[in-house]
This record gives sequence, structure tokens and C-alpha cells, in this order.
Amino acid sequence: MPGGIAFEFPQLYFTGLWVTIQLSILGLLGALVIGTIVAVMRVSPIAPLRWIGAAYVEFFRNTPLVVQLFFLFLGLPLIGFRFSTDTFEHIFRAAAIGMGVYHGAYVAEVVRGGLLGVDRGQIEAARSLGLSYPQMLRYVQLPQTFRSVIPPLGNIGIALVKNTSLASTIGVTDLLFAAEIVESRTFRAEEAFSAATLLYLSQTAPLGIAVNTLERRMLVAR
Amino acid sequence: MRPDTWPMFLEPAIWGFLFEGLRETIYLALVYVALSFVAGLLFALGRLSRRRWLRWPSIFYIEAVRALPVLLLIVYFGIKGSALFRPIFGPDFELPRFWAGVLGLSMYTSAVLAEIIRAGIVSLPRGQTEAARALGLSHAQTMRSVILPQALRLMVPAMMAQLTTVIKDTSLVGTIGVFELLRQGRTIYTQFFNPVEVLLIVATIYFVICFALSQASRRLELGYVPKAARIKIQDIALRDQAA
Repeated sequence: MPGGIAFEFPQLYFTGLWVTIQLSILGLLGALVIGTIVAVMRVSPIAPLRWIGAAYVEFFRNTPLVVQLFFLFLGLPLIGFRFSTDTFEHIFRAAAIGMGVYHGAYVAEVVRGGLLGVDRGQIEAARSLGLSYPQMLRYVQLPQTFRSVIPPLGNIGIALVKNTSLASTIGVTDLLFAAEIVESRTFRAEEAFSAATLLYLSQTAPLGIAVNTLERRMLVAR
Repeated sequence: MRPDTWPMFLEPAIWGFLFEGLRETIYLALVYVALSFVAGLLFALGRLSRRRWLRWPSIFYIEAVRALPVLLLIVYFGIKGSALFRPIFGPDFELPRFWAGVLGLSMYTSAVLAEIIRAGIVSLPRGQTEAARALGLSHAQTMRSVILPQALRLMVPAMMAQLTTVIKDTSLVGTIGVFELLRQGRTIYTQFFNPVEVLLIVATIYFVICFALSQASRRLELGYVPKAARIKIQDIALRDQAA
């Protein structure tokens, strides 16, 4: 049975799966928070804020995630900043933060597109009713973007689940790491990697189907 | 930052070492993008084919590969690549690391490019195919001389945008021992204990290349791309941007 090897090494595979899921969820939460803040900066009326936002997006989208991970995990402690005194904890947090900052740049572009898509009349009406700029963002502009950004955010989520595998390069014991350990113990590469493949598919496939269904429904609604 | 770690970058040898890595990165990117484009075109045509034995395997390949992490494919070929080719090239065959990396990267990128090409073909008005067929061209002739030239031209900006991902993904094959840019940088900082400086320089080099490519693709316009195709391509770009 393909993937049966996962039950011979349940400790490795299912701990790995759990770490991958944790990284995905923490990374996605971080990306959403960072992305929304950066997107609001990018459409704000204050020019320096817009520049900082643009610089953030361009920098993090145009450098490899692995380089960012290595920097967070090796570089920061040398400048005197550690995420935790415990090494395992430090690596895990560095990976989670790396996922957040990298995908945050992509989320920012999507949310920005949504914010710019809101009808200008809505914004002007809100402002002329006496809402302050932050109030207008909070009650008028952001809620209206919510609907249109869900499918692209789902796509970023899928990318994020796949990209958590890069954390194995800095030593996080995720699913891919588990497969590599099992392979080096048993030399059964096909089985070791197909088990990891199935476990990755069990996360990305349902997400993919959900995103496609949502997209189709929203195309009809438009 | 410690002040005494920057002067070493006045040494030309350090830069020579980094540029060897950069050369490997660019060479790798060119080779695997060319391979992936050819394979991707075939898979796109397979997916649009009317023959089931061509269509179903193509759909399965594209969807399965796109749902997997690239790094998993790379590590798999890094470990098992040699064994896969031994039945063909004899029992002593060793697959060079470089080609193991090319295999893993192309497998993934071909699926992505197949989807972009398919979006381009599907976005062309039906009238194009119908007119070509009515003029007596066969299905293959229609594809070759009418549909593909138009679709590929429309898809050039989208593919150029994908090139930034292509460059970034090359940084993954360092894990299986290809001496590309990041790997060379790692060798330097394990020698001199200066990861901050080296990683900043490496990141800057990647940034310059990728930023130039993404700006170029944004400036490039080769015709009107319908909205549905643009949405589809944006989805592909978001879902398949790795590393």
C-alpha cells in the first residue's frame, strides 16, 4: 500500500505532519496581519508610508524564501536577536516568521488590489458623512474587499502549505524532514517520499478544491 | 554588526567565488526553463486533446505535481536520480547533481507553464479555430499555424513574470549539493562566520535579477489578454510561487 511506511514510523511522520500544519497556520495568520497592514500603507494618503509599503513588497517578493529563512535563523542571532533561548524553539519561530513575512508580501498585493477595487464613491460618501480616515477603512473600505480577496488568498494558502517544506532546510522537523530521515534509515526512497507526498496532498488537495469551487461561484455571482 | 567583517569583501577572490555561483544559477535557470517550456507545451496540448488517453494522464500530472512542494521533488531526485537511470545507462551511472536539480525543478515548472499556456489557448476566441477548420486545416495544422502563435505571444508577459519564480527556485538545489549562488554564499559564511553580510549580498544579487525581470514583464504588452485569462494566470502565479 502506498504510504504504508507512515505507520511503521508514525512518530516521525505524524509529528512532522503536525509541525507542517502548525507552521502553515502560524504563517498564514502572520501573512494576513502583515499583508493587511502593508496593503493599507500602500494605499494611504501619506507618501512615505506608501514608499515603505512598496519597498517591503518588492524586497520580499524578489528574494528567495530560503535566503530569508537562513537570515532569520543564522543572521539575526549574530546581530544579537534570538527568538528563543532554546535552539529548537528558535528555529521553529524563525521558520514561522519567515513564512509570515514572505507570504505577507503576496497577501499585501492581493489586498491592495481589493482596496483599489472599491468604488471611489463609497469612500467619498463615507468621508463626507464625517467618518475619519481610519474609521472609513475599518467600516467601509476593508469590509468590501473581503469578498473579492478570498479566492486569491486561498491560492496563497496553498503555496504556503507547500513552502513550509523549505523550513526543513534550516532544520525544522517537518514532513519533508521526516521523509528524509526515514529514507536514510531504510533506503526505501519511493515509499518514504510517497508517504510524504500523500500527506502533503491531503492538505493541498482539499484546499485546492475549496478555492476552485469558491472561484466558480464568485464568477457566477459577478 | 561587527565592524571588522566587511573589509574581506574588498578581496576579489570572494566575489569571484560568488560569481561562479551566479553563473551556475543562471545556467541552471536557462536549462531548466527551456526543458520545462517544451514539456509544458506538450502537457498543455495533451490536456486540451480530444483523446482521453492523452487528456487524463496530462490532467493527472499537472494537478498532482502542482499540489506538491518543489523541494520534495528536488530531494527525491537528489537521492534516487542515479538509480532511476541505471537501467538505461548501466549499473555504474551517477546522475550529476546539476541534472538531478534540473529534473526536480523542470518537473514542477513544466506543470505550471502548461497551465499558463492552456489559459492562453483557451482565452482565444472560438472563431479562430472554427475559421481555420472551415478553411480545411487539420486539428494539428490549426494548432501549429493559427492558435499557438497567437496564444504564445499573449502569454509572453505572464511567462516572464514566472521567470522571477524560476530564478528564486534555483536557490533550492543547493540542498542537494549544486553549487549555485546561495550555496556558494553558505560556503563563504561557514568559513568566515559572517552570515549577515554574506546573506545580505546574496539577497541583493537575487533581488536585482528578479526585480529587473518583474519590471520588464510589467512593461511588456503584446496584445489584449481577456479578463478571464488574466484572473486564471494570477491564480497560477499565486499558487505556484515557491521559494
